[in-house]
Amino acid sequence: MDYRKFVELIPIANRETLSNKLVDFILTSKNDEKMPSQLANTILHYWQQDVLKSESGLTVLLEAALLLEPDKTVNVFSELQMTSIAEQIKAALTS
Amino acid sequence: MVKFGIEFAPREPHWKIMYYVIQAEKGGFTNLWITDHFNDRNVYVALTTAAIYTDKITFGPGVTNPYMVNPVFTAQAVATLNELAPGRVVLGMGAGDKTTLDTVGVEMEKPLTAVQEAIDIIRKMTSGETVAYQGEVFKTAGAKFLFKPRGKIPVYVGAQGPKMLALAGRISDGVLINACHPKDVDYAVSCVKEGVRAAGKKFDEVDVAGYPSFSVHEDVKKAIKAALPVVSFIVAGSPPQILERHGIDVKKAEEIKDALKVNDWGRAFGGVTPEMISAFSVCGTPDMCIERIAELLKLGISQFVVGSPIGANVREAINLISEKILPHFKA
Repeated sequence: MDYRKFVELIPIANRETLSNKLVDFILTSKNDEKMPSQLANTILHYWQQDVLKSESGLTVLLEAALLLEPDKTVNVFSELQMTSIAEQIKAALTS
Repeated sequence: MVKFGIEFAPREPHWKIMYYVIQAEKGGFTNLWITDHFNDRNVYVALTTAAIYTDKITFGPGVTNPYMVNPVFTAQAVATLNELAPGRVVLGMGAGDKTTLDTVGVEMEKPLTAVQEAIDIIRKMTSGETVAYQGEVFKTAGAKFLFKPRGKIPVYVGAQGPKMLALAGRISDGVLINACHPKDVDYAVSCVKEGVRAAGKKFDEVDVAGYPSFSVHEDVKKAIKAALPVVSFIVAGSPPQILERHGIDVKKAEEIKDALKVNDWGRAFGGVTPEMISAFSVCGTPDMCIERIAELLKLGISQFVVGSPIGANVREAINLISEKILPHFKA
């Protein structure tokens, strides 16, 4: 899945809120074993650099959140009035 | 200025713990303590990762013990960490927990002597000395590192009983007091002072850390709910004299203990009373926590460590502490 493509569609005004929500899903998820260690290390590196709300940061967060909590992740796009992106992600997940 | 520490048990995957560690450093915490239990993930792997992902925070095992890990290996671990993060490493050393030691068939022999001898050996090894040591518990015959250690590592003693607290005052650079009620902390500090006096030191040469169970939330009910599991285990493990000191019904504590034995969490956590919460945790809204911390600082605490559970949602709780509690004490 091209996560970056979806991130580029996210309005800048929504990026910080979305970043926070995705971090919360990842940290509170019970599906820890689904997190690839390399992806986790990249997230930590971006967190250390304080760039989790940048396009690169959101790309790795989106990948992790979709692996750990796909339903919640798709739903949050709808909650934040990004229904079209939610639909595209849903389609990509089922294809 | 008062230091603020934070404790994590490496029970969760490293990336979750490290997210919180980075967050804590950004939020103004000065100290990080990682617990050392054989049934969690390894403390030194967690600390190594913390060394890599942080720049300022001081960190160390909080606490290890000399029975599960021979002092020469503890010395090796902290000396190596001190190469990764020079000047940021401390060591927390205690006697260990008897129940855990029993689980792995290790005898808790002469705890005061063991802790003192272990610290002696570790200090000598980390100073680069060749250590020929004939103690009552530990013996070495010319132990020496084949690398040059980077210097002094402050040693904290995890202590609860009066003799261990006095020993901590006498020989350590800091003491970790696993208590939060002013009555308990006042008593503990007086024991530490006794040791400090015996060693001819000044009290402010010892960093006295209060290391309680902590839970913060804007909604006091949510803060309490998060603290219930930890407090129930503390109550179940407390001797009757401690319970009575806080006016806690020993029978109620026994009921909690029985419920925990059969994993009846509802009955165990439901049995926790407000007196138990107050005696064994710092818990509530940010303002309530500030009030309690301020009270403890007046008694001689120089570092306040927030221990598990920290809050219902750890990330939110760290933010609350950083934004509402720490600034109060740094102003």
